[in-house]
Amino acid sequence: MRTSAPPSRRRRARLPFLNLGAAILVSAAVLYVAFFPAAGLPALGAAFNPTTGAWTMAADAQVTDRTMRLSGLQQPVKVVLEQDGTAHITAQTDRDLFLAMGYVHARFRLFQMDLMRRQGAGRLSEIVGKAALDTDRFELELGLLETAQAEWNQLQPGDPSREDLLAYSQGVNDRIDEAIATHQLDAMFTLLGYQPKHWTPIDSLLVKGDMTQTLNFTDTPLVMALLNKQLGADLTSEWFPILPPNVQAPYDPGPYSKPSLSPIGQLPAPQSTMNGDAAQPLYDRLAALPQGLVATGGASNNWAVAPAKSASGGALLAGDPHLHLTLPAIWFQLTMDAPGYHAAGVSIPGTPVVLIGHNEHIAWSLTDAQNQQTFFYVEKEDAAHPGMYFWNSTWTPYKTVSFDIPVLGEATQHVKVRWSVHGPVISERGQTTSVWWGGNIPSQDLSVLLNIDRASNWQEFRDALRGWFSPTHNFVFADDKGNIGLISAGYFPQTRKGQPWLPMPGTGEYDVAGTIPYDDIPQVYDPPAGYIWSANQRQVTKDYPYYIGTASNFFDPGYRADEIRRVLSQPGKLSAADMQALQTDTRDFLASEIVPALLQTLSKSKLSTKESAAMRLLAGWDYRMDVGSSAATVWSVFWSTYLDETFRPWWKSRAVHVDMGEVVDALGQDLETWTLHDAGNRAFSAPGVGSRTAADAQTAAFHKAISAISKRLGNDPSKWSWGRVHTRELENLAQVSGLSYGPRADRGDANTPLAAGDFPSTHGPSWRMVVDWGTHTFQGVYPGGQSENPASSWYTNRVDTWWDGLLKPMLSGDEAQSATGIKTWSLNP
Amino acid sequence: MRVYATVMVAGLLALVGVLFGFWWAPFLVGLAVGAVLPRARAAIPTAGAIGLLSWLVPLAATHARYGLGPTATSLAAIMGFDHAAAVPVFLTLLVGALLGLAGGWLGSAGRAVVASNARVDATRNG
Repeated sequence: MRTSAPPSRRRRARLPFLNLGAAILVSAAVLYVAFFPAAGLPALGAAFNPTTGAWTMAADAQVTDRTMRLSGLQQPVKVVLEQDGTAHITAQTDRDLFLAMGYVHARFRLFQMDLMRRQGAGRLSEIVGKAALDTDRFELELGLLETAQAEWNQLQPGDPSREDLLAYSQGVNDRIDEAIATHQLDAMFTLLGYQPKHWTPIDSLLVKGDMTQTLNFTDTPLVMALLNKQLGADLTSEWFPILPPNVQAPYDPGPYSKPSLSPIGQLPAPQSTMNGDAAQPLYDRLAALPQGLVATGGASNNWAVAPAKSASGGALLAGDPHLHLTLPAIWFQLTMDAPGYHAAGVSIPGTPVVLIGHNEHIAWSLTDAQNQQTFFYVEKEDAAHPGMYFWNSTWTPYKTVSFDIPVLGEATQHVKVRWSVHGPVISERGQTTSVWWGGNIPSQDLSVLLNIDRASNWQEFRDALRGWFSPTHNFVFADDKGNIGLISAGYFPQTRKGQPWLPMPGTGEYDVAGTIPYDDIPQVYDPPAGYIWSANQRQVTKDYPYYIGTASNFFDPGYRADEIRRVLSQPGKLSAADMQALQTDTRDFLASEIVPALLQTLSKSKLSTKESAAMRLLAGWDYRMDVGSSAATVWSVFWSTYLDETFRPWWKSRAVHVDMGEVVDALGQDLETWTLHDAGNRAFSAPGVGSRTAADAQTAAFHKAISAISKRLGNDPSKWSWGRVHTRELENLAQVSGLSYGPRADRGDANTPLAAGDFPSTHGPSWRMVVDWGTHTFQGVYPGGQSENPASSWYTNRVDTWWDGLLKPMLSGDEAQSATGIKTWSLNP
Repeated sequence: MRVYATVMVAGLLALVGVLFGFWWAPFLVGLAVGAVLPRARAAIPTAGAIGLLSWLVPLAATHARYGLGPTATSLAAIMGFDHAAAVPVFLTLLVGALLGLAGGWLGSAGRAVVASNARVDATRNG
């Protein structure tokens, strides 16, 4: 007879199995979180282990003398790294130069390069998940990938640019392979749990496309359509005119040739009048995109001074392109020396070229030209012709391109993009809208820049720029012979007819028909005044016979240009130190115009003790937006309140849904003009506020401004220093706030040559360069450092120099070899 | 004495594994330690200590060679712990220890099941 075991014994017998089950469960959990990302955390084992995880950034931060083999090199290459990280590459062949450049870029900026190519290719969701899906979808619709592929296909075997791009890619891939093999990939790759794919030339062209988009893809026609509908056509045409209402400082005063047209390139075929209701969803969609995908107005300066006005007797050149200030920065400083190239300056990681800098004979810099290169077309469709649009009297089928967007942790998304002759369809809500964008026209900009790197005089420089299409830039030039020049190279598209500042019918009559001929685009060479300047202002006077964009949101209001011209036009000679000082000039030209008028108004107004004290601050002010200036705070708050006081009632009464901040530059120009010349303008008498003049609005705004400042900063006007309200921040590129720099109190505002709009300001001079051909001195600095590794001393080592307004010598390759603290890499085949 | 030798060899194996990039080695070594050492109360902490040390030693070596301060600060910032450098260090050592502990527990539990079955068989046969 079988008897069963007592219960206590059975429990004891089960215990080992329960224990094993628990151990299996816990082990599985530990192994899961060690090997796989979970709950927003990276795979903990892979990410944090001490030998191949993120801790390797400690070793990566150290740069030592090295001798190494690089696959693909033909001859040995020497790389000298200065104490501050500036790289000097000396190669015996041009091909080796670009290969080494790719290696050096990738050694210090691989994650940044990968992010940039992913942005252009619509592949950010693959690494960060669905948060980037809208961005990816938009980028694929816009067509950067199509354009980059078309540009690459245009390059025939044997074309020097093609060979350079291939060599550069090989160098990047040499570094990727090395980093993977030695577990030295940037920590962000480890933490995000992926490895970079090999680099291709198309990736370099995508990076170029990103920059083009940032600088000149605009939504202004949509804004204008909304304003037309909501604010009314009467006020829109009055307040947002084609020509600026205020007095500006164009650099090319004419005379101009009679108008004609040159052919414009074709869009890469894949391969209205819009009503306000249809514009709204598209406007909202573009407004919701992350910063940098839609151009929101530029801010850059450049100028040159002829020997006649130069203290050194040689031409002077200064340039400071203003961009989103990030860590790592958009720039990487280097010199390139090879049989065909001797250039120094800054490059964009991912592209094999010095974009701004100098060679043995010429120096150059650039600002954004701001002209209109984005046109929206409302396609005519009907139910009887599905999948077609009416163009040139014919029903024409759309062409369709399909893309897959891999999404981390989600199913792959499929995107179909329809293309009309005008470009990609980017909105189908309300009315089908396609966009003609200059950046979609394949262009060989890298070839142009490589030719600039090799140019030795104005003729070669100008000839090289003939092939530059988009974005249109104001290229400033100065050479060792004392010549200076400025040319706004790029397409200036012209439509057959219509109002290109609004969305237009896509039926053919309003298409882009060509561009302004190269000889007719804005340009000057060795002007009699002896100086030239650009700061995103309209380049030409009202007599220019072509449409190039409206005053609203295309061109800068011109205050920086006014201030630069004011300084350059002073009697006496100018030195490199003067150039440096002008780059960090904090004088607000608009304030210098408006404050005297305001003081006159206030002198007739009844003011409180506090308001009187604030008025006295303004009366004794030098119009400089310095950190310690209380008057600067009063001015800034007054001006924004004055704008609000004048225009907000209109916005409210007419239910305008366009963010006033988006058109504040245009409104500011109006307000400036009315304040100085048209104090009785009807704009001051908005519905609900009664009949008013400029003085009435100023007084009301002043009362409100002082009240607002008091609430925030206290009752003592002497303590209202600008630095308490105005800060600047260098944002980490991966949006890790702990790896950003600042916010820190800083000087300047949106109108000063030292541009620092917004609170905190995240845009500004991304690189400052001053060249003096008389003394053969070259100086430059950018905010940040050469390395993207936050543990590296080269992550932020240039910030203080930049913040203080100082410059660093740009050494030549030979000079760098004898500098102290250098590291040398010997790269061998 | 044999036990100490076993632990030493296990520790070395885990360390060498981690140094060669096999960061999960402490789990396997812990598994073996748990399976070999007869007493779970000793085996599991030993495996945990091996896991901890096999991740600590390379980390300490990196610190001695390059300095870990800026790296730890940066990692803390990336993780959202402002600049609390101790957090990533603690997390790292915790993961190493957990790998060893989990392996040790699993090995030890497996050994207990085998031993239990053996006892049952012996009881039935006896």
